[in-house]
Amino acid sequence: MGAEASFREDEFFGREEELHALTRAALEGGRGIGSSFMIYGPPNIGKTSLLLKLAHVLRTSTGEGLPRPFPLYFSFSQILSHPLALSQHFLQEFLLQLLRFLGEAQPSAFNPAAMCDRLASFGVTGCREVLAAHERCTAEGDGLSALVNALSFPFSASGDLFYPVFLFDDFQYTGKLQGVPDGAMLSILRPYIKSGHFPMFLSGSSPGRVTASLKREGLFGTFQMIEVAGLSADSSIRLWGHLCERRRVEIPASLLPRASERLGGIPVYQRMLVEEIFFRNAKVPDAITLENLYALAVTEGKLNRYWREFFENTFPDRSRRGRAIRFLKRVLCDRFPLDTVEGAISLMGVSQEEGEEILSALEFKGLLKADLEQLSFVGDPVLADFLYWAFERGVLGKGTSQVAAAIVQAQLSHGSPEPGQGADHARRVAIVKELMRKWDLREVPLLLFDFGKFREKFGGKGLLEVVIGMEHEAMRVRLPKVSSVSTGYRASRGGPRFDFDLVAYGFLEGDFSEENLVIWAVDAAVEKNLGARAVEHFENRCRLLALEKGLPHDRLRKWMLINETADPAAVDLAEQYGIHMSHPTQVRLFLNLFGLEELEREPEPSRSGGAPAPRAGKPLEYELVLPMKADSEVVAARVAEEVAAFAAVDADTVDRIKMAIIEACINAFEHSASESGKVRLRYLLSPDKIELFVQDDGRGFRTGKAAEESKKNRGWGLKLIRELVDDVEIITGPDGTVVRMVKYLEAGPGKPATAKETGGPASPGER
Amino acid sequence: MSPHKTVRTHEMGDTLVVSVGGYLNSLLGEEVEKVVRAELEGGGRRILLNFGGTRLVNSIGISFVIGIVEKVMEREGRMAFCEVSRINRDLFQVTGLAKYVRSFETEKEALDYLSGNA
Repeated sequence: MGAEASFREDEFFGREEELHALTRAALEGGRGIGSSFMIYGPPNIGKTSLLLKLAHVLRTSTGEGLPRPFPLYFSFSQILSHPLALSQHFLQEFLLQLLRFLGEAQPSAFNPAAMCDRLASFGVTGCREVLAAHERCTAEGDGLSALVNALSFPFSASGDLFYPVFLFDDFQYTGKLQGVPDGAMLSILRPYIKSGHFPMFLSGSSPGRVTASLKREGLFGTFQMIEVAGLSADSSIRLWGHLCERRRVEIPASLLPRASERLGGIPVYQRMLVEEIFFRNAKVPDAITLENLYALAVTEGKLNRYWREFFENTFPDRSRRGRAIRFLKRVLCDRFPLDTVEGAISLMGVSQEEGEEILSALEFKGLLKADLEQLSFVGDPVLADFLYWAFERGVLGKGTSQVAAAIVQAQLSHGSPEPGQGADHARRVAIVKELMRKWDLREVPLLLFDFGKFREKFGGKGLLEVVIGMEHEAMRVRLPKVSSVSTGYRASRGGPRFDFDLVAYGFLEGDFSEENLVIWAVDAAVEKNLGARAVEHFENRCRLLALEKGLPHDRLRKWMLINETADPAAVDLAEQYGIHMSHPTQVRLFLNLFGLEELEREPEPSRSGGAPAPRAGKPLEYELVLPMKADSEVVAARVAEEVAAFAAVDADTVDRIKMAIIEACINAFEHSASESGKVRLRYLLSPDKIELFVQDDGRGFRTGKAAEESKKNRGWGLKLIRELVDDVEIITGPDGTVVRMVKYLEAGPGKPATAKETGGPASPGER
Repeated sequence: MSPHKTVRTHEMGDTLVVSVGGYLNSLLGEEVEKVVRAELEGGGRRILLNFGGTRLVNSIGISFVIGIVEKVMEREGRMAFCEVSRINRDLFQVTGLAKYVRSFETEKEALDYLSGNA
């Protein structure tokens, strides 16, 4: 009863859509058209709260007539793995919850016989018979029959008075029952699920397992899947408000969006962090303090304890726990590109058997999803920080405060674009990725990979000469058949990076076999002039990779792409280490061989370094499609803010643009009878103006609703827009309505660009 | 920039100070209206709306503020705004709100005005 007891109705925020869908499905059960749901998501994301909230909503639903939905919440995690114990517990829970549902305030929970009698007085008969049958099964030690007996009972007991709605929590545990075949539970429930009269909500952190069982039972199509993730920003912030108020902790509202994002919108973390701040009696005036408190919580406080206990429970064996943590750290923190079971096991460096056990335990607890041998891992920012701490502490032996400082620093510098993450780099990486996919055992001149020799031979020659020269190259190399290429991420922790821009898995011959496996690690240099240090660092990472994958040295190919030039020392070092190195010209030739073209380098504006805006170039265009949904206009405003930042306009103008776009969006949401439910926005940034287009596919303006709204002082929208921007045009055509707004930027950057003065101080009381 | 609704209130003498944080849309507007209505029904007559934490405003939010002003005037209460950002001041001007309610730079100035010291 742990989760049930700690559930606080008043702390439940958000998840309106999920609740709505689930409530509807449950109520439709009364009419025999209810559907069932599989609710899944990482551990402690709030699945249980969702179920309990649903139970509450159903209990208090005042549906017309009878029967009423009776929400029966049951968690499988609390029970011993013996089916007799489970069925006993289930029966008891059922009787207890049903009595409460029927209005008995304090049923005698430990006396099933008495509960049966009470139920009979409510018109629910046959309970004693079921108990007797259950006792017989127990005496015979027939677990499966006992389970059938217990689980079928609610269905036979229901009638004109109520119908059961099952809220089965931690359903993955049903696969762990002793002596009961996997999926037996679903076999028992199958006819009821199929009937449509008994909506069933299964929740669990291990969707792979449960969906496999559902598929085996032919039930998969009957279930709708709901993935529970972190709360929306809005709900998360409301929860902050509630928690802070309860604990009288003050966090400035301006920090909350960031704090929410920091914790992945996960309610349990928010609760813990607020508790942490409360118990430390700390004041939180600014972002730095908040980051510090968070880092403390994750390195020695509540968040740390939470995950430590989690891993201790999941992996009681210390050394296995260490391996699992080290493995997860590589995947979640260092973003080691990984999506197969084989890859995972080789990264762990353990036996097949142990590797599978670790993965299975992680899956059971919901830290990874396995689907058709494809792995995907949870994206939990707090877990990532915890793993970072565990690794730095346990493996590198750093002190807690050192790790906390690193976490704070990484967070504070987070968001500033890292060098090399620019669009140009991404484009270079993407095109090489495409190239590698096309290799397919073809032979190419070795010179394409050898910058030193290439320069020696063709330095200073024209491109045509080079192309002809390459055709006559006798030294050729056979490329592998590449089966997959993963794009790496640059580690964002400020420290040295662990991964590569690209890691390709390929085979030397056509056959996909262990002996033929070859891995290509590729880095596209960011620095204009590639230095020896970068080569050294690349080599180190390659060695680490080879070690982790257990690859013989000739099965790991190393390839660096020069950005513009390379130091002679770097070229020498690369040769010494056996690193392939290619100059942009070589890459271009390479791409030509495979019918690919290098994309033109566009001088993309970057926000760092003063952004010389598009003042000298052609207009920059941005597009955004918004759902017609409450508050999504805020996204449009946010984008407008970012776009305006490129033009270095003053804050007041940015505000005006934001407000104008908000009004235009709201107008589109409210007045257009749109079919697609979407609004399309275009932001056009030219040297002298910002043009905004808000387009919906509605047919003109709907008058009915607008007239009703205008009673409430509505109808300012267009008036405000005209006030906020310099030009407004509304074009209604067969395809919808477009509002075009223009704000001129006649003043230079940094100066106020407002074209219009609204005249005089706003009110007599000012200044 | 957050679209959340946060309305905080505190009493200063016999003035109810309502701090409006976040995105003043219909949800938040409704919330503010609720708070003010409760205060008026409870006999309170002095209302100060502090917009220091208001990041964004839309016309529906403003229409709620207008409704609030009307209610306060109906009950012959006194009302002021404070910490209104430049853009919001402009919007209040355009919608005519500024004609009925005075805006002040700081909460203190506004409180002084409401209690008759200014």
